[in-house]
Amino acid sequence: MRMRLKLKTVFVLYFTVSLLGLFYALMQLGAGQRCDCRDPDLSKDQQISQLRGELQKLQEHIKTSELSKKTDVPRIYVITPTYARLVQKAELTRLSHTFLHVPQLHWIVVEDAPLPTPLVTDFLAASGLTYTHLYKLTPKDRKLQEGDPSWLKPRGAEQRNEGLRWLREMGSAAKGKEAAALEEAVVYFADDDNTYSLQLFEEMRYTYRVSVWPVGLVGGMKFERPVVEDGKVVRFHTGWRPNRPFPIDMAGFAVSLRMILSNRQAQFDGDAQMGFLESSFLQHLVTMDDLEPKADLCTKVLVWHTRTEKPKMKREDALQKQGLGSDPDVEV
Amino acid sequence: MPKRRDILAIVLIVLPWTLLITVWHQSAIAPLLAIRKDDGTETRHETGPATDSKEYCSQDKDIVEVVRTEYVYTRPPPWSDVLPTIHVITPTYSRPVQKAELTRLANTFLHVPNLHWILVEDSQRRTPLVTRLLRETGLNYTHLNVETPRNYKLRGDTRDPRIPRGTMQRNLALRWLRETFNSNSSQTGIVYFADDDNTYSLELFEEMRSTRKVSVWPVAFVGGLRYESPKVNAAGKVYGWKTVFDPHRPFAIDMAGFAINLRLILFKPQAYFKLRGVKGGYQESSLLRELVTLSDLEPKAANCTKILVWHTRTEKPVLVNEGKKGFTDPNVEI
Repeated sequence: MRMRLKLKTVFVLYFTVSLLGLFYALMQLGAGQRCDCRDPDLSKDQQISQLRGELQKLQEHIKTSELSKKTDVPRIYVITPTYARLVQKAELTRLSHTFLHVPQLHWIVVEDAPLPTPLVTDFLAASGLTYTHLYKLTPKDRKLQEGDPSWLKPRGAEQRNEGLRWLREMGSAAKGKEAAALEEAVVYFADDDNTYSLQLFEEMRYTYRVSVWPVGLVGGMKFERPVVEDGKVVRFHTGWRPNRPFPIDMAGFAVSLRMILSNRQAQFDGDAQMGFLESSFLQHLVTMDDLEPKADLCTKVLVWHTRTEKPKMKREDALQKQGLGSDPDVEV
Repeated sequence: MPKRRDILAIVLIVLPWTLLITVWHQSAIAPLLAIRKDDGTETRHETGPATDSKEYCSQDKDIVEVVRTEYVYTRPPPWSDVLPTIHVITPTYSRPVQKAELTRLANTFLHVPNLHWILVEDSQRRTPLVTRLLRETGLNYTHLNVETPRNYKLRGDTRDPRIPRGTMQRNLALRWLRETFNSNSSQTGIVYFADDDNTYSLELFEEMRSTRKVSVWPVAFVGGLRYESPKVNAAGKVYGWKTVFDPHRPFAIDMAGFAINLRLILFKPQAYFKLRGVKGGYQESSLLRELVTLSDLEPKAANCTKILVWHTRTEKPVLVNEGKKGFTDPNVEI
């Protein structure tokens, strides 16, 4: 009799404990279910406008406090040739995000077009950057045709030269304080599909003649770079045609504005052989001895020669044939 | 009589345990638990000045200060107590262009107020490259990692649409959010999935900040079109999808084309991207259908008429001159 009672108690106890455990688990789960996803505030519009106001305040604060800080550093003129294609707006957008962080940067955008396009005009106006909008059409015989490999003809030569022309014109006309500022300025050629770190611009800012540094993902290698010994460039580490006068990519050097203004003949040769575009310009300006190595004596990669894929448009093309293409008024 | 009693006893013993097991099985996420390793998913929780809104941020304030005095221009904007935080989830993996992609992405994010970047590496361990990069940006970030098992990974460059890339990484981030944020807290937040090779305008982030449940907008260069977009009727409601590729998917939208309110993520803790058996283009649907219906979607970007995000893809660099042994110094980080 006694033994049976004991077993019964054990059983009852066990049953209660497991039931309690089950309820606990269910409650845990249930607690997760109870949720009110609606906004507690009654006036949604009020909240949105409050947020917008807050945002605007923040943006103003940033603009006024930070931009005014750095006005005494040498200016960087960035010359970017660009041309209309599907990814143009995207490329310029993300490029502008990088440039917005760099103090005293003046962006010279040169379109390969007979006239300035609305897309680039509107984009630059909204970018928040200091800019100059130029245009210069590449003559037909020098232009890459559809289906040509990208290396067949040098690209952007006319546009870069147009940028140089504008700089020289501006340089001649400058007086007083502005002329003094130009004495220390630097010119950099930045293609619209490369990737630039913010540190790169600080490296190039103090350039006396021509400064150089490594470039990532170019020349069929992880990076190309000048080789530095005793603080001087002695040769170039590159996997392709190292015997060029300057086997360096467009993104791998910057030139002081002083040199550009005092060497008015220095231009890019649009007829130059593949890979010799940079040399055609630099050989008028410096010798290898004069080059100033940056980026920790050319051991750090601060710029990458990225290229963007051409987006596949086969469905768009098919629709266009049927007259059902996407709305052309929607700017992409 | 004793027989019935015995049976009753057995049933009463077994019943609560079966119920308990079913309940726990439902609430657990079996595949994710199987992968989880302690060192792998450890997140950085810096104990600096512990302000309320920044408890989950990993910001090594001392080192950032030094870097910031050199490049005063790099910032994120000051943190606001009013703006909802945008949690940007980016899966990433090692390849030559990785550092470049993350650099230019960071340069964009540095303009966005109240942005929290959740970067999830597809790796066994968090790599020094990404660790260093994140620290130097000065952004508010969380660095996670989980390795996709080999049979899930895409082989080389082959576009095998049956195995979506980045799924496990995104799911890990979702789980991190659920573990970090209490569903009862008043923390406002928006969750956005941003791949590391796309291009984002700054306007996009302000559009998504007012998301109540799930907001949507057009994305350029997807589905073989100039852009894909939700179809919005005169009443401002989404009623379909303007795509050529399978417009009858529950959510015919790209990963970059929607954002989710954090509360909804916490409210539905079972909602994850489906790992296996997902047809190409259905990844987004596998998550969204557990969260919203079509009529709940909020169209942004001027009723889905403006392009604020582009699905750009970066070419694989030709490294033919590296040769078999590698021509360049492997110690130089690219």
